[in-house]
Amino acid sequence: MSDSAPAVARGTAPYRALWLAPVLVAMLLPSVWMVAISIAPEAGNSFARALRGPFGLDQYRALFSSAHLGRYLLNSAVVALAVVSLNVVTAAMVGYTLGRRRVPGDRFWTVGIVATLMLPKQVLMIPLYLVIARLHLLDTYAALILPFAVDAFGIFLVRQYVEQLPIELEEAARVDGASDWNIFLTIVVPLMRPVLAVVAIQSFLASWNSFLYPLILVDSDRLRTLPVGLALLSQTEHSVDWGFLMAGSTLASIPVLAVFMAFQRQILSGLLAGSEK
Amino acid sequence: MRAHSRVTSWTLLSPWVFAFGLFGLFPFLFSFAASFTDYSPIRASEARFVGLANYARALHEPAFWSALSNTALFVIGTIPFTTALALALALAVQPAFRGRTVLRVGFFVPSVVSVVVLSLVFKGLYAADGSLNTLLRALHLPAPDWLLDPRAALPAIMAMDVWSASGYYMIIFLAGLEAIPRELYEAARLEGASSWDCFAHITLPLLRPTLLFVLVVNTIRSLQIFAEVFVMTHGGPLGRTTTLVYYLYEQAFSRFNLGYASAVAYLLFLLSLMLAWLQLKVVGGRGAKG
Amino acid sequence: MNARWSHAAPLACLALALIAGACTRQPARATEIVFWQFWPAEVITPLLEKFEAENPGLKVRMEQLTWDSGKDKILAAVASGTVPDLCELGSTYMPRFLASRALADWSAGIADLKPGIRGWEMCSIGDANYGVPWVLGTRALFYNKTLFARAGLDSLHPPETWDQLYRAAAAIQRLGHGVHGYGVSANDRQKLFKKFMPYAWGNGGEILSTGLDSARFDSPENRAALAFYLTLRKVGTLGLQDALDRDFKDGKLGLEISGAWLLKQIPNEVPTLRYGVALVPKPATDRGTHASFAGGEVLVGFQASKRKEAALRLARFLVRPDNVEALVEAAQSVQPATVGADTTAFYLARPNQQVMIRQFEFARFTPNHPEWDAMEAAIEDAVEKALYDTQSPPESSAAHAAADAQRAIVELLEKH
Repeated sequence: MSDSAPAVARGTAPYRALWLAPVLVAMLLPSVWMVAISIAPEAGNSFARALRGPFGLDQYRALFSSAHLGRYLLNSAVVALAVVSLNVVTAAMVGYTLGRRRVPGDRFWTVGIVATLMLPKQVLMIPLYLVIARLHLLDTYAALILPFAVDAFGIFLVRQYVEQLPIELEEAARVDGASDWNIFLTIVVPLMRPVLAVVAIQSFLASWNSFLYPLILVDSDRLRTLPVGLALLSQTEHSVDWGFLMAGSTLASIPVLAVFMAFQRQILSGLLAGSEK
Repeated sequence: MRAHSRVTSWTLLSPWVFAFGLFGLFPFLFSFAASFTDYSPIRASEARFVGLANYARALHEPAFWSALSNTALFVIGTIPFTTALALALALAVQPAFRGRTVLRVGFFVPSVVSVVVLSLVFKGLYAADGSLNTLLRALHLPAPDWLLDPRAALPAIMAMDVWSASGYYMIIFLAGLEAIPRELYEAARLEGASSWDCFAHITLPLLRPTLLFVLVVNTIRSLQIFAEVFVMTHGGPLGRTTTLVYYLYEQAFSRFNLGYASAVAYLLFLLSLMLAWLQLKVVGGRGAKG
Repeated sequence: MNARWSHAAPLACLALALIAGACTRQPARATEIVFWQFWPAEVITPLLEKFEAENPGLKVRMEQLTWDSGKDKILAAVASGTVPDLCELGSTYMPRFLASRALADWSAGIADLKPGIRGWEMCSIGDANYGVPWVLGTRALFYNKTLFARAGLDSLHPPETWDQLYRAAAAIQRLGHGVHGYGVSANDRQKLFKKFMPYAWGNGGEILSTGLDSARFDSPENRAALAFYLTLRKVGTLGLQDALDRDFKDGKLGLEISGAWLLKQIPNEVPTLRYGVALVPKPATDRGTHASFAGGEVLVGFQASKRKEAALRLARFLVRPDNVEALVEAAQSVQPATVGADTTAFYLARPNQQVMIRQFEFARFTPNHPEWDAMEAAIEDAVEKALYDTQSPPESSAAHAAADAQRAIVELLEKH
C-alpha cells in the first residue's frame, strides 16, 4: 500500500465524498439494471417487471447447465492469457525503445504504430480473414491470438509513460557499465510496473470481450469464446433472451473485475517514492 | 557500446515489425488498394480499377457528410468531458484513504461489460417509459423518447460513452500520476504552494505525455463509434446517429461495396491522422525532463 | 436428362467412395458437409442426426451463426473462397447473392420439389433457381382482447378494414393511462418496411414494375396507404419493434403488426395475455387485399464448394415436409415453406399460427433487384421522415415521401 502524497491536498477529503458518491452511484446503476434483469426470469427487458419479481436464479442455472459454457470460458481464458502475456512483453519492449528514442526515426515509428489504430476493423476484417485463411490458421487458437499479440495501444501507452520516467537511473547504470539488456530488464521493467499493470488490464478487457474477430475467424463450437457463445445462446431471430444474456454478461464481468483488482494495486505501488537518490 | 545498443534497440522493436508485417500490413494495403476499385466480397474476382471514383463519390454524397458531421459532433461532445472526468476521478482516488479501492473498482465497472451488452442495457434505460425517464419525470424534468427523438438520440449515446469511458481512462491517468516523483510535491509544499499550484505547475505539465495519450487514443476510438449505434438506433432517427463507421459498415456489409467502404475508411484515417497531429502540436512535448 | 444425372451423381459419388474405400483398405472417410445456419443447436441437431442416419457416408458439420453478425462472416468466407457447402441465407441477402455468381445453380436438382414448396421468388432469377426455400415468415395484426373488451370493442371480430382499424385504435387510445391503440413502427432497419408496405400492397400499390426496370413507388395507391399509416400515429404510439412488442406483451398496446416470434414469446413470458391474430386489414370491404410482407430463409450452395451434390442432398432432406415441420415446431417463430402446411395437426391445434399461414396467401415477396436493400432503406427513410413531420397534413407528407422514395429508387435503377 503506498503512502502517496497526493497531487491534491488531503484537506479536501470531505468535498471529495460529496461529488464522488453521486458519480459512483451513476456509474453503478446500469450494472444494477443488468443484475436485476438477470435475476428476474419473467421480466424480459422490463426493469419495472424485474423489480416486481418473482426473483430466481433460473437464468444462472440455465447458464451453467448449458453444455458449452465451460468450453467457452476455457477458450476465452486461454486466449486472454496468451494475448495479455504477449501484449505486456511486446508493449514493454517496443514502448521502451520508442520512448527512449533508441532508434532513428522513432517519431515516424510512433506515428506509424499509432496509425494502425486509425483504420476501423470493419474494413480490415475481410482482408485479415483472407490472410488467416491463406495461412491455414482458420479455426485455430493461433487465429485468435497471433494477430492480436502485439497491440499498438499498449505500445503507445508504455512509450508515453517512459517519456515521463526520469532517465537518471538508466544513465547511472550505464556509467556503471551495465549492458543495455541488463538495464532494460533490471531497472526499466520494474519501473514500468504501473503502466504494465494498466496494459495487462486493458489487454485482458479487450481480449475477453472481443466479439467480431472471434466470430469470423473461428467456426467450430469447441474453439468458441464466451461473447460469441453467449450471443449464440441468447439471440433468436427477432428477440433477445434478456435474462439469459444479462446473467451471462454478469458472469463474464467477474473475471475482468478480478483481473482489475489484482492488477490495480500495481498501478499505485509508489515505486518512485524515494527513487531519486 | 553503440553497436550493442543498436542491436538491442532493433531487437526490442522487432516484435511489432514482425506482427505487423504478417497480420497488419496486408489488411492495410488491401483496403488501400480496394478503395480504388469497385471490389465486392461476393464478386471478388470481378473487381475493376475505378481510380478516385470512390473518394469523389464520398465527397459528393450527402450521407457521407451527414455521417461526418455526426461523428465530429460526437467527438467534440465527448472527448473534453471524458478527459476531464477521468483526470478528476484519478486525482480523487490516487491518495490513500479508506475505501479508495471500492471507488476505483466502482468507477471501472462501466468499462468491464462488453459494449454490445452495455448498449442493450442503455437501450432499456433510455426507453420512453424506462428508468431514466421515470427519474426525470419525478424531478419534473423533460423526459423525451431518447433514442427516437432526432435531437436527443446522439446526445444520449454521447452521454453513455462518457459514462463508460471515464473509468477506463481514469486508470491510465492513475498510472501517469504515479510516474511523477513525490519529491516535487514535497518540495513545492515546503515552499508554500497551494493545491492548485501543485496541480497546474507540477501535475499537468508532467502529465502531458499521458494526457496526449488519452486524447489521441480516445479521439481515434470515438471517431470509430459503431457498436452502440448498431445496437441502439441503427443510425436513426432520421440518420442523426449514423456515424462514419456505421455508414461504411452498411456500405460494406449490406451493399457489399467494400471498395467504397474502404475509401470512406481511408478518409476517416486521414481525419484521425490530422487530429492526432493537431493534438501532438498543442499538447505534446516531453514529460519529466527537469 | 439433367434430373436423372443429378440423382445419379450423388449415388455415383457414394459408390465410388465406397469402392475407393474398399480398394485402399482404409476405413472409408465420410464426406463432410459443412453447413452454416442460424437456428440453435438443440433445434437443428436432431434433424442432422436423422440425415446422417439415412445417409451413411455423409456427415454434417454444423456451424451456428448469430443473427445480427452472421452475414459478415458469410461475406468474409465468400470473399476468401473458403465457403461452407450448404448455407442458410435470409431473403434480404438473396438479391445481391443472386446477382453475383457465387451461388450454385440448383435448377435441375430441385425441379421436382417445386409444386410442394412456396416462396421460389426468393431464390430465383427467371427460370433458374439458386436455392430452395426453407421457412417463411410474414407479418399479421396482433390485437389485445382484454383491451378490446375494455374499449367496448368486439374481441371476436378484429378489424378487417382500414376504417375499422382506425376506429378500434382510437377507442383503445382513449382508455389512456399509458395504454395506446396502434403501435407505429419507427425507423428500424429492415423492419419498418415490413410494417408499412402491407398497407401499400393491400391498396394495390407496387414498388417496381414486373420487369424490375422501372419504379412504381410514387402512385396514388401508395400515397393513400402512407397517408393512412401516418394517421395511425394519432391513435397510437411510435416505437422500435422490440419496444412495441414489449408494450404489447405488457398489455399496454392494443394493436400492432408483428410476426410469429410473438407466438413463441407470449406463452413463455406473459401466458395470461389474452390476444388474437388477424389478417392485415385491407383498405375497404370491397377493395384491396389483406396483403402482407413475406420473406424467409433459403438454403443455398456455393459455386466454390467442392461438395455441391452432397449439399443439395442435405438441402432436399431439410425441406422435406416432415423435417421442416419438426424445425418449425421447435422454433415456433417461422412457418414452413411447404404448401398445405396449415393442414397438419400442429397448426390445426393452434389457430393463431394458422392465421399466419393463411396470411401467406396474400403476402408479397420483395423484388429481387440487386439494389433492393438500398431501395428498401430509401423507402424506410422516406416513411420515417414523414412520420417525424407532425406539422404537415398526412396527405402532403405522404406525397413528399412517395416522391422522395421514387427519386431514390430511380437513381438506384439507373446504377444498373
